[in-house]
Amino acid sequence: MAHDSEHEKPRPGPPLLDGSTLFFVLLALAAGLAVLIVRGPEAFQSALGDGLGLLILILPIVVAAVLVGAYVQAMVPREAMERWLGGRSGLRGLLLATAAGSLTPGGPFAAFPLVLALYRSGAAIPVCVSYLTSWSVLGINRALVWELPLLGAEFTLTRLLVSLPLPVIAGLLTWALMGRLRERPA
Amino acid sequence: MISAYLTLGILLLALMGWRHRQAEPGHREIAVRGWRQMRPLLVRIPIALLAGSFLAMLIPRELVAGLLGEASGMQGILIATVLGAIMPGGPMITFPIALALIGAGTGMAQMVTLITAWSVLALHRVIAFELPALGWRLTGIRLLACLILAPLAGILTLLLAGLRG
Repeated sequence: MAHDSEHEKPRPGPPLLDGSTLFFVLLALAAGLAVLIVRGPEAFQSALGDGLGLLILILPIVVAAVLVGAYVQAMVPREAMERWLGGRSGLRGLLLATAAGSLTPGGPFAAFPLVLALYRSGAAIPVCVSYLTSWSVLGINRALVWELPLLGAEFTLTRLLVSLPLPVIAGLLTWALMGRLRERPA
Repeated sequence: MISAYLTLGILLLALMGWRHRQAEPGHREIAVRGWRQMRPLLVRIPIALLAGSFLAMLIPRELVAGLLGEASGMQGILIATVLGAIMPGGPMITFPIALALIGAGTGMAQMVTLITAWSVLALHRVIAFELPALGWRLTGIRLLACLILAPLAGILTLLLAGLRG
């Protein structure tokens, strides 16, 4: 890794335009330019039209999805989640972790500190793994905001349906793995 | 698209109705919180959509359809697992690319696998967030236990499609 290349902005930036958004602006511009050069102006216009048309269809969905997310957050505050999951184990713990994970909104910066807190407050490792798996495959917030509008209802519902058993499976596998690793110091 | 509107509308109404019987926080406060979360999305989603529709024009269709199409079966599911695991970035990058890949002929089971692999394995997220927060032991156990989940999701999708006929 290079240590002394050019300095980025000192702060992670305001929420409206952060590093990854800027990167994506550049990617969109580059891809647009490439389409214009490789496929010609007609293809460029049709792609632009597709994107804008989809945007108009999607905006109401995004507004509703964000509101749903805000209601879910108000429903299940973080302290309640820690209380539910701390110290629980067994199938009941895995199922609760699955429910809690799918309701946890926000990106990795929200989920991992919560898992760490759970672990420290005595939650079993399989419960932590179930929680993280559920947050990543069943996370309602991300499914509603990104997946439903972009990939459609049929795809999203199918994926959520086949993903339902995954967090519990991951928890059970963790439990089995830990049986094998028991010789090692914790 | 209509089913997406309906799903969300019903969900939102149910939540609002359920919330109506509770005290704090009220609808207004919840709406304010929602608006705060929505502002960055109003910038990100249009950009992501544009990038996605441009990328869709550039992706080599025959290659994608051959590697990840409905007919690619188990092999496509395994390729999708690897692709999903190494796909960097958050939803803003992944979903437009997924949209482009579907447009280029990726099958349903293969796409479910790819999204699942990206969700549970996400090597960029492991390095950036998980290892620093949880350490090697917890992260290692989780990754081992989660290795089979993405192909499993793909196989379940195939079975589901089989059931539907």
